[in-house]
Amino acid sequence: MQAISARGLRKTYGPTTALAGVDIDIAPGEAVAIMGASGSGKTTLLHALAGIVTPDVGAVHLATPMGVVDVARLSDAERTRLRRERFGFVFQEGMLVPELTAVENVALALMLVGAPRASAIQEAAMWLGSLGLAGMEDRRIGQLSGGQAQRVAIARAQVTGASIVFADEPTGALDSVTSAEVMSALLSATVGRGRTLVLVTHDEQVAARCSRVVRMRDGLLVDAGAGAAGAPAASPQPAGTLAPPAPGTAVAAPHPAYGTPAAPRVPLTTEQQWQVRA
Amino acid sequence: MSALRLAPLMLRPSTQGAAVLALPMIAFGIVTWLLGIVVGGARAFFTWTTPDAALYQLLAVVALALLAVPLVSLGGSAARLSARRRDDRLAALRLLGATSGTVLALAVAEATALALVGAILGVAGAAATSPLIGLIPFAGEPLGASALLPATWSIGLAAAVTLLAASSALLSMRRVMVTPLGVARRETPARVHWIVIVLAVAAMAIVAGAFSSFASIGAALGVVAMVAVLGVGFGIAMLVLNLLGPWLLGVQARIQARRASSPVRLIAARTVLESPKAAWRQVGGVALVTFVGVIAGVGSALLGSADAGGEMTLAADIRTGLIITIVGSFLTVACTVGLQQAASILDGRALSRALHHGGMDVSTMDAARRWAVLSPLLLVVAVSAIAASVLVVPLLGMALLFEPVTVLITAGVVVTGVVIVGVGLLVTRPLLRRVATAHVATA
Repeated sequence: MQAISARGLRKTYGPTTALAGVDIDIAPGEAVAIMGASGSGKTTLLHALAGIVTPDVGAVHLATPMGVVDVARLSDAERTRLRRERFGFVFQEGMLVPELTAVENVALALMLVGAPRASAIQEAAMWLGSLGLAGMEDRRIGQLSGGQAQRVAIARAQVTGASIVFADEPTGALDSVTSAEVMSALLSATVGRGRTLVLVTHDEQVAARCSRVVRMRDGLLVDAGAGAAGAPAASPQPAGTLAPPAPGTAVAAPHPAYGTPAAPRVPLTTEQQWQVRA
Repeated sequence: MSALRLAPLMLRPSTQGAAVLALPMIAFGIVTWLLGIVVGGARAFFTWTTPDAALYQLLAVVALALLAVPLVSLGGSAARLSARRRDDRLAALRLLGATSGTVLALAVAEATALALVGAILGVAGAAATSPLIGLIPFAGEPLGASALLPATWSIGLAAAVTLLAASSALLSMRRVMVTPLGVARRETPARVHWIVIVLAVAAMAIVAGAFSSFASIGAALGVVAMVAVLGVGFGIAMLVLNLLGPWLLGVQARIQARRASSPVRLIAARTVLESPKAAWRQVGGVALVTFVGVIAGVGSALLGSADAGGEMTLAADIRTGLIITIVGSFLTVACTVGLQQAASILDGRALSRALHHGGMDVSTMDAARRWAVLSPLLLVVAVSAIAASVLVVPLLGMALLFEPVTVLITAGVVVTGVVIVGVGLLVTRPLLRRVATAHVATA
């Protein structure tokens, strides 16, 4: 029973082989760090799992309420919709819309999946509050520090109740103290609420806080992570300064998620179905 | 010294590609080309010694005023663009410890160099096309070789365009000088002071007043004074539009941002609000053409009645002049919209890509961009049509304003203007798609 699972992923860009046959299983509630040198294919793997690129060969099976979907076989428009409705994304440098306020940036994700503006803003404000950004709702993005911007991005990634959050070097542009704070916020907002986190990082300290570390070299998975496959996430250690509650505490969900309970959103499919698809 | 050593590095194509260098250069080329043609044509009338000469000179000055303002503002935005496009790299240099002087010198030198190349191409283009312009008949005869700008004028024109570019670049770079983070953070809190609005309205009133006593000015001070009043009057009116335009767009966008219920409308309104001046630069051209169009319409209606009096040649000539003016304005508008859209897409490429990764459809981004241009466009077209009418009525009377010819020409100009902006949005759409869906190998 996996949240997302890839089989035989291959991807080449011209003469460059980014993925040379990757298999990976990620269970609901896991926090998986993908590590590797530049050019090892880690970002391509993240993009293939998230349906940003399609592999030349191979399949990406995603558990959804409608059953298991092979992300690699969806059309461009379907994958874009899937990313909007089921995934959350955190990038290296915020990548927030600079013209919008902090709260509008978060609400935008909800409005894009059809929520009316007033309730989207309300929901977004709750998320900002739970991430320690209360009072900064109407700040412009340029007025936020790097760490604050990343926390807005985390709120944006989770406000729709996405079951999987993909993060590409989420702390890459931050100093080590801020980096630790942002990681705590990211872990609390995702695995702390039963969601799945897949992140790419260069930073061993960031990776160490995930429940599993996989390593890549030359487009191959050289280390699938020590015995953690399918295991639930180890408890992350949120910094005391942050509002989101630690997993296991009474308030597991700090807000009424937009129509979505903690992952898995639906009973996941059986192993048999995986076999059929594969 | 250090500026000189760094200049070749900065001139190397950045990750944004050759378009960054090509766009402003093409714009400078077109500005110079159009100015060359227009100044050349206008100058031709001043070599005439016929009895009609004074009237033709008067009309040439009006046409020049109508075209010069949008052209100069296109040149200005091209210069700002070439300076601002490198903002990030310049701000980075500043953070690395380059002195203010070095950064300023680099930015201004780059914008000036691009403008100079463009201006030289433009002057050459004007010389090359002047035989064609010479074929246009005025007073029953082709304009001929007199439409060709003399070499000294050409050099002067190229120098003027380059100088304009240098000063615009200098002004736009002041923000980098204030704080190295100012640009990286892109804060733009500019608002129009209320005194500016009061002064602008007062200026319009004075122009309208001068126009209403136009005939007596002519009787008292002669044709030269009439030429001056007309040229300066329309020039002032367009400058006022230029000044108030951004403020009006800001007010409209603030209301829309409050009311927006869809992501597209919200982003569009916030985009305009971020920089009403940038929004104005894209749609202002159409506002100014609309202004010309109303005057052209009324002029044609006037000629309709003049035809009965038998002044056919003059009627045909004025019509020719109006067509040239409007075609020139539309070329300017098309250029400005294409330039601005391409530039803003290139500027926002990383964000567009990230938003698309996050599941925003390219069509949603495109719609937001479309609304951010079309909604201001409709407002300013309406406002400038009204402004032009207010000025024309004291000059020529109310009746001509509602002649079918006037209405038809005005409507034609407005529709063409909106279509041209639409085309500008449409032709840059593939660029947005390419940028948003581009694969970038490194994280």
